Amino acid sequence: MDATSTLHLALPAVHTVVMGASAPVSQLVQPRAFATSVNPLVFFSILDHYLRRNAGQDRVIGTLLGVRSEDGSEVQIRSCYPVPHLETEDQVEVDMEYHRTMYELHRQVNSKEVIVGWYATGADLNQYSALIHDFYQKEVSAFPAVHLTMDTALTNERLGVKTYVAAPVGITSKENNCMFIPIPCDVKYFKAERAGLELLANARNTDSSSTTLLSDMDNLEQSIIQVQTMLERVSAYVDSVLAGTVPANNTVGRYLMNTVSVVPKVDPVEFEKMFNSHLQDLLMVVYLSNMTRTQLAVAKRLEKLI
Amino acid sequence: MPANKDQLSAALDIEGVVPIQSVQLDAMVVLKIVKHCRESIPATVTGQLMGLDVNGVLEVTHSFPMPKNQESEDFEGSTYQLQMMRCLREVNVDDNSVGWYQSTNMGNFMNQSLIEHQYEFQQALSKSVLIIHDVSRSSMGNLNLRALRLTPAFMKLYKENKFTTEALARAKLTFSNIFEELPITIRNSALLNALLYELETPDESVEISTSHLTTYKNTNNAQSTGSKTVLTPNYDMLDLSMDPFVAKNLEFLMETIDDHTQEQGNYAYWQRSVERENKKKAAYLLNRKTENARRAQAGQAPLPNEDVDSMFKLPAEPSRLDHLLISGQIDNYCKQINEFAGPTLGKLFAVGELQK
Repeated sequence: MDATSTLHLALPAVHTVVMGASAPVSQLVQPRAFATSVNPLVFFSILDHYLRRNAGQDRVIGTLLGVRSEDGSEVQIRSCYPVPHLETEDQVEVDMEYHRTMYELHRQVNSKEVIVGWYATGADLNQYSALIHDFYQKEVSAFPAVHLTMDTALTNERLGVKTYVAAPVGITSKENNCMFIPIPCDVKYFKAERAGLELLANARNTDSSSTTLLSDMDNLEQSIIQVQTMLERVSAYVDSVLAGTVPANNTVGRYLMNTVSVVPKVDPVEFEKMFNSHLQDLLMVVYLSNMTRTQLAVAKRLEKLI
Repeated sequence: MPANKDQLSAALDIEGVVPIQSVQLDAMVVLKIVKHCRESIPATVTGQLMGLDVNGVLEVTHSFPMPKNQESEDFEGSTYQLQMMRCLREVNVDDNSVGWYQSTNMGNFMNQSLIEHQYEFQQALSKSVLIIHDVSRSSMGNLNLRALRLTPAFMKLYKENKFTTEALARAKLTFSNIFEELPITIRNSALLNALLYELETPDESVEISTSHLTTYKNTNNAQSTGSKTVLTPNYDMLDLSMDPFVAKNLEFLMETIDDHTQEQGNYAYWQRSVERENKKKAAYLLNRKTENARRAQAGQAPLPNEDVDSMFKLPAEPSRLDHLLISGQIDNYCKQINEFAGPTLGKLFAVGELQK
């Protein structure tokens, strides 16, 4: 892949556009997207699409949906859907009608998410990438389209996820002439999704790669065990520093200081009061709710007698 | 391969002999549901589940959200659904509808419309399932999903639409067996496992190729959390603030109990009116008897027998379905409080020890 050479050529374009948005270097008026964040769901969907590809097909593509920040400089890729396409030796065919229908359907559910670009599997950018990108560029009009690749063949033993925007190349811009410039890409998710991911992460360590839902209690136990191992690790490190086996690291020390000072100092009497009132509240609530349940159970039994 | 053949024949079990024992969700489905439900807080949203049932295990492999205002424009909802399913079939997704999902807040999902929806589903597809995702509980650090099906007894009663006390007692139906809950497992594909491992380890190659651009990165918005190492441990579970949750839960519980009281009032009113009618009827019959006895003594023919039952119509018994659902809901809240109290007590004592 000759991405490294293109990279150097392309960078000035980004500079000009970003530093002075009015500079007419690029045909795009808006500043380029230079930061993207991806919802993990997008990865999951892409992988699922790849697993469901037609026999003999080695690359799948699809449309990315998401939201842009107001100035268009940050793109959050929130979801995606597959688009069927056909690649042969000398031509590429993308089912545009399908793409439009799906987009319309998505709009009905989530009107906030707009087309921000497209994805493809495989680590390479080939000559068709530029063509497809050109199409998506027209779809997103004023903003630069984002291209996301995912290396599903696991070359280098990773699922290298990369995002690009395209810059026109040459004196006269032709649709199949463009350079893909890598842009940074983060993974972001919301708090509620966090819990889901956590659970999925549990599944990967099992043989059957499946997991069951945990109860709140089990989950708490896991968290506590995690905290314990971390504390052990830290105290082992501190001990070893004190013993002089490991050289002291100022940065780590400062972090530790900060962490320790976060623990609030509460007056024991005050604490006792708070602790007891909370405990009483909770026990009372539990007691009442159990009473209610008993009432219900009694009613249930009585109903059977009628 | 014989094993494969067995699986195939099980998958093609068209008659539906094998009942569903458990539900298996694909990781993607879980995330899709979570995303859709979170986006539309506090409105409750629904969506379709697609998949296959193989040998008693309902495998849900895909899902799509439904538009929000589907009740008002019923027609549009169904065209949306058909179009979506056709589109998904084109990309080799299992286009076999196996149920639906709904978001909920604090587990208040027991209501008539949900029951009706699920009834229709189970009537059309006997193996369909309802997935309930509780957004507010999931955001506390533990994913909360439940797979529910209406029990056969309830299905039968609902079909006859006869929710009298007698019918309920005969069917042995109480609030606790409206739904049967199925165990849920979550499955990752091999590639997904690779992705999860990848997310855990920071990707150096990306870092290098983009390092010269990161200087332009502006401050990220606060609503998302996350970093290069995505799967940093999650300590939401250790959060000590229990008051909002308990308060909210109790609030809901109180509301439901109010409903329950009202329902009980209705029932008592019905009972009283039945009693009144019965009394009237008995009085009338007694009257008639003495009258007849008097006439017999006087040598007259007894009065003609009238249809007494038609004269004194007993008021129809109000449907006990509401009562059933409300009881179920109360039970649900109480269970929720109990489930929540266990870990919280643990946490409280842990903090107590810590402060000593």
